Amino acid sequence: MKGLIYLYKRTVINTIRRALKRPVTYIWLAFGVGYLAMMVFGFSMMIQEANFGTPENIVAILSIIIFAMIPGNIISYSKRKGLLFRPSEVHFVFSAPVSPKMVLMFEGVKSFLGNIVIGILIVVCGWMWFHIAIGKLLLYFLFFVVFESILEASIIIFCFGNEYFGEKFFKRLPIVMYLFMAVIAGTALYKLVNGTPSFALVSDYFAMPVIQLVPIVGWNVAVTRLIFLGPDTVNLIGTALYIISVIGMFAFAWKMKCTGEYYEDAMKFADDYQKIRENQKKGIANNPWKKKNTLREASVEYKGAYAKAIYFRQMLEYKKNRTFIFGWNTLLFLGLGIGIAVFAVFNDVAGEFGGSKIFIIPAVVSYVTFIFSGYATKWSRELENPYTYLIPDSPLKKLWYATKIEHIRAIVDGIFITVPGAVFLGISPVMTVLTVLLYICLNANRLYYNMLADALIGNLFGNVGRSLVKVLLQGIAIGFAIVAAVLGGLFLGVETGFFIMILVMGVLTFAGALIASVSFNRMEVLE
Amino acid sequence: MLEIQDLTKKYGKNLAVNHVSFTVPTGQVGILLGPNGAGKSTIIKSIAGLLRYQGGVGIEHMPARTLEAKKVFAYVPEVPAMFDALTVREHIEYIKRAYDSDITEEEIEKLMKRFELDDKQKKLGRELSKGMMQKVSICCALAIKPKVILLDEPMVGLDPAAIKELKEVILELKAQGTTVLISTHMLEMVKDLWDLVFIMQKGEIVGTFNREQEKDADIEELFFQITEGGESE
Repeated sequence: MKGLIYLYKRTVINTIRRALKRPVTYIWLAFGVGYLAMMVFGFSMMIQEANFGTPENIVAILSIIIFAMIPGNIISYSKRKGLLFRPSEVHFVFSAPVSPKMVLMFEGVKSFLGNIVIGILIVVCGWMWFHIAIGKLLLYFLFFVVFESILEASIIIFCFGNEYFGEKFFKRLPIVMYLFMAVIAGTALYKLVNGTPSFALVSDYFAMPVIQLVPIVGWNVAVTRLIFLGPDTVNLIGTALYIISVIGMFAFAWKMKCTGEYYEDAMKFADDYQKIRENQKKGIANNPWKKKNTLREASVEYKGAYAKAIYFRQMLEYKKNRTFIFGWNTLLFLGLGIGIAVFAVFNDVAGEFGGSKIFIIPAVVSYVTFIFSGYATKWSRELENPYTYLIPDSPLKKLWYATKIEHIRAIVDGIFITVPGAVFLGISPVMTVLTVLLYICLNANRLYYNMLADALIGNLFGNVGRSLVKVLLQGIAIGFAIVAAVLGGLFLGVETGFFIMILVMGVLTFAGALIASVSFNRMEVLE
Repeated sequence: MLEIQDLTKKYGKNLAVNHVSFTVPTGQVGILLGPNGAGKSTIIKSIAGLLRYQGGVGIEHMPARTLEAKKVFAYVPEVPAMFDALTVREHIEYIKRAYDSDITEEEIEKLMKRFELDDKQKKLGRELSKGMMQKVSICCALAIKPKVILLDEPMVGLDPAAIKELKEVILELKAQGTTVLISTHMLEMVKDLWDLVFIMQKGEIVGTFNREQEKDADIEELFFQITEGGESE
């Protein structure tokens, strides 16, 4: 125990000290305070204008949170996830002479601290916007921080540390929880369909005795109603059942035998989570819990030497992949293309948009390119491979052959998102081709400018800062291209303007790629 | 003393360790030898209480999962993992408190010096190289002043000076009556250390040798005698 307290204390102190030494902390702090002020101001306006600040509404909001949070927690805890043990904790804490239950509580502290923060937020919001007496808010804070934390701690011990119930029980528990959530969502939907859609409907829904008497979750809502809205028979019964259940769960968790068998699952989760963190640092969005795809036999003929070998090796890897170079994003692009086509069929596009209809697909394409900025594939791993740097060829060629498949994929994605919509929107073949080209160009721009940002700023501003710089660089390039397009469109016609936009974008992208190719010169650039 | 009784471990349907039993008496150095995938690390992790298993593990005649057993037990994993925000010295300080170890400041200083960490005490865990992490991991294990110590591939990543130092430390521990179990496949590194050798293959112990009985036979010869078709004891 003394060790865990020391560990926590030193971790917090060292992290704060380190953060205070970094100028970027103050930038984020200022940004955070500004954002918070904007949120407070915006919400104040909204709540006042909509006359939303009533105790019934805060109860409804809290009820939604309770119904989403508690089953969600039970699901993640029963899957032996939800507590993020680090490999360092596996190394130094699991083998230490500390009770395995205490280890769980040590990890759960982060969650309990979260409860305190949420509790404070509820008090502040309730006082500022929902005009609730401070006494009631403090009582709710006490309930939320003390009883909720005891309940959560008991659930953690019950789910993680349980050595009575077998694996089957904990495989079935999430299924039951999912079913429960589906039933709740289903009945809510039923009420919504059969009533007049309004927020009052949510209040009515959570006021139903059957909802308030749902074990644990409903009883929690009953306590909330008792504190904020005053007593009635149902919420008094629910509150009594809630208190009994918390005491019961606590007593069970206290007495339950726990020798630390959960360490195996926690260790596995720690390893998986470590992989996620490493991938996040590299900007790769993947799911290490997903079962590994089985690879098939494949071969490739290397038609060229030096940097070209990178392209053919990647092609070989993709050919072994059951979905070749395609993935879920290909389907997404096809879906979006079909979506635009459906939109065109069911709306009077010509009447509503006139000649501007040619910008519908480019607008969607630009948006999609923007939101998928973190999407990384095999090419980015080339930068971690020492052999890439040892190949005797120019950095620009290496960059081109390492990313060539990305451009091929962009052609397919571009066709999928453009053609179905173009057919039903009645867009000319020339414009359709130009739109596909635009997507390819935007995709290449994103790819090379991301690399450019990495090469220019490295890890100076952290991951978020780096993402912002990437967006800024891309935004500047797109801005120039739009100005060129507008000028071209005004003087030479829409199609020529569009072509000029792609041309300018292409030139800027090439310039970016040229500078970014420095990343293929030395591995050190990345560090 | 370290006792393993009928230890069996399955990963799903795969049998990783099959009814393994062995004992390392007090003050002796046991070596768990075997090729990659033989099940050595699974046994080590089971002893350290990181895995579920069938069978029994005893540390100083106590079940391994009890807190009393853990107090006298140290573990050096194959892949060390440091706390990002803790300095080298703070790692040792944490261990001192977690195990209520009576290690003194002078002893910590001496330990740091032995493993050339004395000038790196203020470095954070995240700033350490793999080799330095391994040294910190070993120092942390030694700071416990354990009665039983488990080392999983301890030489990997260490520089020659640290390997030499570690070998000396193991012999000192043995002299002090500490039970040592080392899992490795680097035969050369442990040839001067062993009292008992357990040779593993496909999740089973296929050979056990005692140095006294084998009259200081070469560990390499014993290993290949078993793994390349010889007979086992």
